[in-house]
Amino acid sequence: MRGELHYDAVVIGAGTAGLVAGARLAEGGARVCVLAKGVGSTHLAPGTIDVLGYAPQLVTSPAQALDELIAARPDHPYALLGSQAVAEAMHWFRARVEGGPHPPPLPGYQYVGDLERNRLLPTAVGALRPSALVPETMAAGDGATSVCIVGSRSLRDFHPALCAANLRLAGIEARGVDMEIEVSRADENALGLARRFDDPAWRADFAARLALKLGADERVGLPAMLGARDPHGAWTDLEQRLGRPVFEIPTLPPSVPGMRLYEILRTALRRAGGRLVLGAEVIDFERDGTRVASVATHAAGHDARYAAPWFVLAAGSFSSGAIELDSGWATHDRVLDLPLRGVPEAGEPRFVGDYLAEQPMARVGIAVDAGLRSEGADNVLVVGAALPGAVSWRELSGEGIALASGSRAAQHVIAEAGASTGAAA
Amino acid sequence: MATLTADVLVIGGGATGSGVAWDAALRGYDVVLVDRFDLAEGTSGRFHGLLHSGGRYAVKDPDAARECVHENRILRNVASDCIEDIGGFFVTTPFDDPAYADTFAKGCRDTGVDCEEIDPAVALREEPRLNPGISRVFRVPDANIDVWKTVWAMARGAQQRGARILPYHAVVGIHRGGDVVTGARVRSALTGEELDIEARVTVNASGAWAGLLADMAGIEGVRVLPGRGIMIAMNHRLVNTCINRCQMPTDGDIIVPMRTVCIIGTTDEHTDDPDDHHVPPPEVDQMLDDGEKLVPGFRQARALRVWTGVRPLFEDAKASDTQTRDVTRAHALLDHAERDGVKGFVTITGGKLTTFRLMAEDTMTAVSKHLGDERPCTTKTEPLPGSEDGATYMLGERLERKEQNLADQQVICECELVPRWKVEEAMRRRATTNLDDIRRLLRLAMGPCQGGFCIYRAAGILHGLDGLSAEQTDRSLLDFLKERWKGTWPILYGDQLRQARLDDWIFQGVLDVEHLPASDAAITPPAREELAS
Repeated sequence: MRGELHYDAVVIGAGTAGLVAGARLAEGGARVCVLAKGVGSTHLAPGTIDVLGYAPQLVTSPAQALDELIAARPDHPYALLGSQAVAEAMHWFRARVEGGPHPPPLPGYQYVGDLERNRLLPTAVGALRPSALVPETMAAGDGATSVCIVGSRSLRDFHPALCAANLRLAGIEARGVDMEIEVSRADENALGLARRFDDPAWRADFAARLALKLGADERVGLPAMLGARDPHGAWTDLEQRLGRPVFEIPTLPPSVPGMRLYEILRTALRRAGGRLVLGAEVIDFERDGTRVASVATHAAGHDARYAAPWFVLAAGSFSSGAIELDSGWATHDRVLDLPLRGVPEAGEPRFVGDYLAEQPMARVGIAVDAGLRSEGADNVLVVGAALPGAVSWRELSGEGIALASGSRAAQHVIAEAGASTGAAA
Repeated sequence: MATLTADVLVIGGGATGSGVAWDAALRGYDVVLVDRFDLAEGTSGRFHGLLHSGGRYAVKDPDAARECVHENRILRNVASDCIEDIGGFFVTTPFDDPAYADTFAKGCRDTGVDCEEIDPAVALREEPRLNPGISRVFRVPDANIDVWKTVWAMARGAQQRGARILPYHAVVGIHRGGDVVTGARVRSALTGEELDIEARVTVNASGAWAGLLADMAGIEGVRVLPGRGIMIAMNHRLVNTCINRCQMPTDGDIIVPMRTVCIIGTTDEHTDDPDDHHVPPPEVDQMLDDGEKLVPGFRQARALRVWTGVRPLFEDAKASDTQTRDVTRAHALLDHAERDGVKGFVTITGGKLTTFRLMAEDTMTAVSKHLGDERPCTTKTEPLPGSEDGATYMLGERLERKEQNLADQQVICECELVPRWKVEEAMRRRATTNLDDIRRLLRLAMGPCQGGFCIYRAAGILHGLDGLSAEQTDRSLLDFLKERWKGTWPILYGDQLRQARLDDWIFQGVLDVEHLPASDAAITPPAREELAS
């Protein structure tokens, strides 16, 4: 192992929460390093900023529903964060999408929406999925009354006729259209096709062929694959060529819009001087009494140890493998071995047989105090899906919690560091 | 109401009933087969897949062992495409009585089981994950058998000879005129329509449900003791040889490699209800602990799915209700003309999967006498459709085929390498909207992701065929997800829980299937209990 590396803060996990915490720490002047086993949830999720979609009924206004949720569920992460923190974090995020003082990370690419009203966007199966802040390339899916859903047999991960048929059940005039797309391999996914859409000549040909199939007032819905490098350019070009609104529909992973979200956050981290080390799984840690002193990573080439006065745990929950239920039915935090909350008592059911019922294990997370501090370590702040109390994949609350908790943790560390510097001075 | 007439009506589409239909069709009889659900959805589709060498019964039930020896040899020829020649070991672990090994070797000699003792070091070279503490090893000709493939091959073969195969048709009444059974009334689970089937002989091949069907015919005293056992599929072939513990047969003492997984089984608990499929948590722990004894580190592997099967054990006067494993595994053929004075009705039950062909032969030989036109059985030599070349299945076959056309064949299920054209062909041929039917035919969604990626794709393809409505498609998708969950939640731990969470993200988080426009009460499927009546 090389010598110990010292930072002001070490963030573990490179999903939305970890990247937000890392970027905001760096922007606040901290020397920060984000360590992660790999990229996080961004590449699996639709790339939208979901704040609260179901509670459990459909949420039309996240702002209003957040206050009700906070009152009703004191164990929910939003109850610790408060709705103001969500609004503040969204404001910060939109500024990073635009680039702030720098050129935008993805030129022209915007997010649209607010906390007053959820957008209802078609999913690949044709359900209408609520989200607060959505990529511009998806926005026209909200409120469409007449749509042509376009796919291709070459993309097995999107079925336009089924999507359209379910939209019709929801009262939207919709039909599905199949386009010929030549692919070099039969198992092409949305990312492979997104690279095609980056090519203006290819796009022009596609648009010309598609235009022949469209009715007068139809909007066009396509799987989320409109450009990997320049989505704004690809999308606006397609809208102009087709002369109508065009929107993307997220589908099975890998998620192209999720990768754009990752790129936006990664750019913010890098521009503020933060460091990101992927392929660096935390495999060990050292404690100093009630604090975590350092963590060790196992990476290609060499192992390393990172010491810091503050650690932000953004490693996710069961889906990332950060929290584990072992075959002896014991639950652990595999990263820092911190105490958990929400685990069913021994002998109580862990899961129940109804797939769509709430599962007893669903709200497990790292136990924290009101300030997101782990109950097992004074200098570890917990953010994102590692927090207990939310069922983010059903509530559709993941990014709201990640943004607000990542921001809160960064602000906390910076305030404490400032206080201690002040005290020393 | 529509009426069908036939020489033989077979009730029950498991291995036995399908075998009876195949045997009857080969003998040239006109046959109709009905099952309340899909073929091999009951006991036949719910076992570990072992085609016995006979070793398991060599000491305890020599007659059963001899039957297995005989049938194993026949099936390797006539059903070769459904069989993988994995071979088997009986191993003495540190947990087994070392004295049993000699008893076992003698039992094999006495019953004709091919059995060769080998050096444990040789066995460990072949199967390096085996418990290194094994002291004796016997090699036997165990194999595995893909029961869905077998049953559908027999059904297709029978259909080619005029048989009518009617899955999802539940018997609602047995027609009886005086002392003669003349057929049955069935109801389609899909359309609700009823159908009368008139038959000269009705065969009750309903296995664990045979007593219920006999009751419907007004025949008393046919008692079948349902013995429920659990099985767990692990996501790798932790072993490539069937591993048996060399001891008197007990719980959790077999691991069967099957296609891309391996299956550990089983337990044996008496139940009153043959539709009892609950999975008691202590039995899951017991299986995992038993797995550790054979393959150290077993608990670190991913458990993909758990299920229960119900053995049909025909009651023997000497057995008590609670010791179902001690009831004979021999099959019982009840000729109700002799037993009860009721003509035109025969019950076949008991037995085990390895001997299904023999059970079918015995049954049709008896039926043939009743039909007054005795014809010889040819199932010993007539290969099933697909098995004509006599070549047994090799694990690498799907991969080999896939590698030849990587560029132009879309794979729908990556775990099991199922191409799109196969999915479309199976959906058309079966004319089914039930994705579980397709799963059984193609092993679609049986791998580590349990349908996480392929089931949306399959639903989209299903919708595209024959103008299925969105409501029907949504229902098929949700039914599949609910059914899958039943087999996964009791064994969710470790990386398989991670996988399940990813699947939740995909279906609930990304696709939002819970809020499909049609997903309210309107798409609640009929309860299984209703169909079972």
